[in-house]
Amino acid sequence: MNIQPTPILNLRHIRRRFMLGETCIDALQSISLEIHAGEFLAVWGPSGSGKSTLMNIIGLIDTPTEGEVSFDGQDTHLLIDDALTDFRGEKIGFVFQNFNLVPVLSALENVMLPLQIQGVAEHAARERAAATLVDVGLERFRDSLPDKLSGGQRQRVAIARALVVNPRLVIADEPTANLDSENSRMVIDLMREMNRARKVTFVFTTHDPRLLEHVDRKILLRDGNIVSDEVTA
Amino acid sequence: MKNISMKNTFTLALRGLSRNRRRSMVTLLAIAFGYSAIVLFAGYTHNVYGGLARQSIYGEMLGHLTLSKRGMRKEGKLDPERYMLTSTEVASITKLLKDEKHIELLAPRLGLSGLISNGRASTIFIADGIEPKAVVDLRQGGLTDQERKSGMYENMKMRLDPEHSEVVSLSEGLVEMLHLSVGGQAVVLANTLTGQANALDITLGRSFNTGNAGSNDKFAFVSLALARSLLDAEGRADRLTILLDDVNRTETMRAHLQEKLRAAGFDVEIQNWQDLSDFYNQVHGMFDMIFGFIFSIVLTVVIMSVANSMGMTVVERTREIGTLRAIGLKRGGVIKLFTTESMLLTLIGCITGLLIALVVRWGINIAHISYTPPNSASAVPLLIDLDARRAMFTFVLMGVVGTLAAYMPARRAAKKDIIDALGHV
Repeated sequence: MNIQPTPILNLRHIRRRFMLGETCIDALQSISLEIHAGEFLAVWGPSGSGKSTLMNIIGLIDTPTEGEVSFDGQDTHLLIDDALTDFRGEKIGFVFQNFNLVPVLSALENVMLPLQIQGVAEHAARERAAATLVDVGLERFRDSLPDKLSGGQRQRVAIARALVVNPRLVIADEPTANLDSENSRMVIDLMREMNRARKVTFVFTTHDPRLLEHVDRKILLRDGNIVSDEVTA
Repeated sequence: MKNISMKNTFTLALRGLSRNRRRSMVTLLAIAFGYSAIVLFAGYTHNVYGGLARQSIYGEMLGHLTLSKRGMRKEGKLDPERYMLTSTEVASITKLLKDEKHIELLAPRLGLSGLISNGRASTIFIADGIEPKAVVDLRQGGLTDQERKSGMYENMKMRLDPEHSEVVSLSEGLVEMLHLSVGGQAVVLANTLTGQANALDITLGRSFNTGNAGSNDKFAFVSLALARSLLDAEGRADRLTILLDDVNRTETMRAHLQEKLRAAGFDVEIQNWQDLSDFYNQVHGMFDMIFGFIFSIVLTVVIMSVANSMGMTVVERTREIGTLRAIGLKRGGVIKLFTTESMLLTLIGCITGLLIALVVRWGINIAHISYTPPNSASAVPLLIDLDARRAMFTFVLMGVVGTLAAYMPARRAAKKDIIDALGHV
C-alpha cells in the first residue's frame, strides 16, 4: 500500500464536550490525529469510548468544542455552513450503521442521489451510479427498492452511494453493526477492495476485533482518548 | 456553489409524496374537494351574473347604454316636461348616432304612470312606452341555448303589436287583479305633460311575468305611440336606449358617445346597464361576499392540511434529512425539497379538484334542476359555467399558499442538527 506522506485530515487537540443537564461530558479529551490518503483505518473501542463523536468530527458533520480540523489543507472552521456542505459532499462519503437509504428510491437512484444533489446531469449521474453498482457487485439489483434487498446488499448500495462522488475519504460508522458475521466480513472486504482499487481513504469504527485483521492502521479509543495508534500494514 | 437541480428536486419530491400514500391522499382530497367547491361556486355565480346581466340588458330592456338629458334621473320625475328630450333632440341624436358601427339599436323610450280601470275597479300602473319593433330587436340574444331549452323565462317572450298601438302587454298580477283576458278592454288614465287628465282605451295583447314580485302587479309595456298620445308628448322621449353589438364595448362606447354628443352640443348623460340595475349590483355584491367567505374557509383548510401533513412528514423523515444533509444537501435544498413536495401535492390536488368540478358541473347542467331565486316570480334553471378566470386565479393562489404552508415545517427540517437527525428513531 502506497500511503502518501501528506495527511488529508489533520486533527489538532480536539475536544468535544456535551452538556447533559448540569453534567458536562468530554466525549473526546484532547485528540490529535493525522489521516493519510489511501489509508484503511479502523477506530475501535468499547461503547462510549467516543468513536462516533470522533467520526462525526472527521466527517465534518460536527464541530469540536476546542481544537482545529483541516481537510486537504483547508481549515474547516473557516467555512460557512453552505460551503462546508459542498466541501463535505465533494470530498467525503458516508456509510451508516442503518444504511440510511431512501426507501422510495431504487438502488440505482439511491446511488445517483449525491450526484443529483451536486447538480450532475441525470444521464451522467445514471451512468456513474450504474458503474459504481457494478463495482460493488449489485448491477442485477439496480432497480430494486431497499426493502427488497438483504442487509448486506443494502450496505453495499450505501458503499456505492458513498463512493460515487469519488470522495477523498469514506467514513463508515459501525457499518457492520446490523449485519451477521458473514455479511460483516463481506462488507469489510468490499471496503478494503474499494480502498485498494480506487485509492480512497476509509475510516470505519467497529467494536468487533475480528474485523481488524485487514486494516492498515487501528486506533483504540477509550474514554475519549487515543489509547493506541497501531500501523499494521 | 453547486445546487440540486429543479428537475431532481421534482423527482425526489414526487417520490416523497408516494412515501405515505394514505396521508398524501387525505391531504390531496382535502385540497381537491376544496378547490372543486370553489370552482363550482365560481361557475354558479358566473352563470348567475351572466343571467342577471342578460336579464337587465334584454329582459328589462335596459340595453347597454341609456341616454337622457342631464338631470333626468333625479329631477326629471318631478318635472318631466323640462327634462324630457324634445322631438327635435330625439331626431337629431338619432341622426347623429345612426352610423355608429357598434350600435345595433337606438330606441326612444317614454315612461309613464297612472290609473288603469276595467270599468268596475281601478289600480295604479307603471308603464314603459317603446316601439314594438324595438322590443323584438332588444329581446334577440337575451337567452343562451341552455336557458332557451329550459322552457323558462316566459317574460322574455313579451311582444307588442306593431299594427295596433292600443294593444298592450300587462304584468300577470295586473291582469289577475282586473280580471282581464287576452283581447279584453280597459281604460288607462294619466296626466299629460301640461297636467291635463287624459284617458285612452287599451286592449290586452298578452300578459307577462316581470320576474319580480314587487312589480308583477303594476307593470305594463305599451307602444311608444300610445305613451306619447297619453302624455301628449308627440315625438318626445325621456330616454334613448342603446343596444351595442358587444357588452364588452359598453364603457368604451359610453365614453365615445358622451364625447361625440358633447361636441355636438347636447347636454346629456349616459348610464350603463349596471348603473341602472340595482338588483344586479346587490346580487353581485352578495355573491362576491359569499364567495370570499367560502374561499377563506377553503384556503384555511388547505393551509392547515398541508402544514399538518408536511409537519408529520418532516418528523417521519428526520433521519433521511440528516442523511441528505450529510451527503451534501444544503439547508436551502431541504427547504426547496419539502416546499416543492407541498407545491406538487397542492397542484395535483387542484387538478383533481378541477376534474371533480367538471364532472359535477356536467351532471348538474344535464339534470335540468330549477329553483326560484329570492324576489323572483318564476323558476330559473340551475346551471354552472366554468369561470376560467377565477378558477385559474384560485389555482395559482392555492399553489402559492400550499407551498408557503410547507415553509415553516421545511425550515424546521433544514435547521435540524445533522447528528441529531441521523440519530432520530
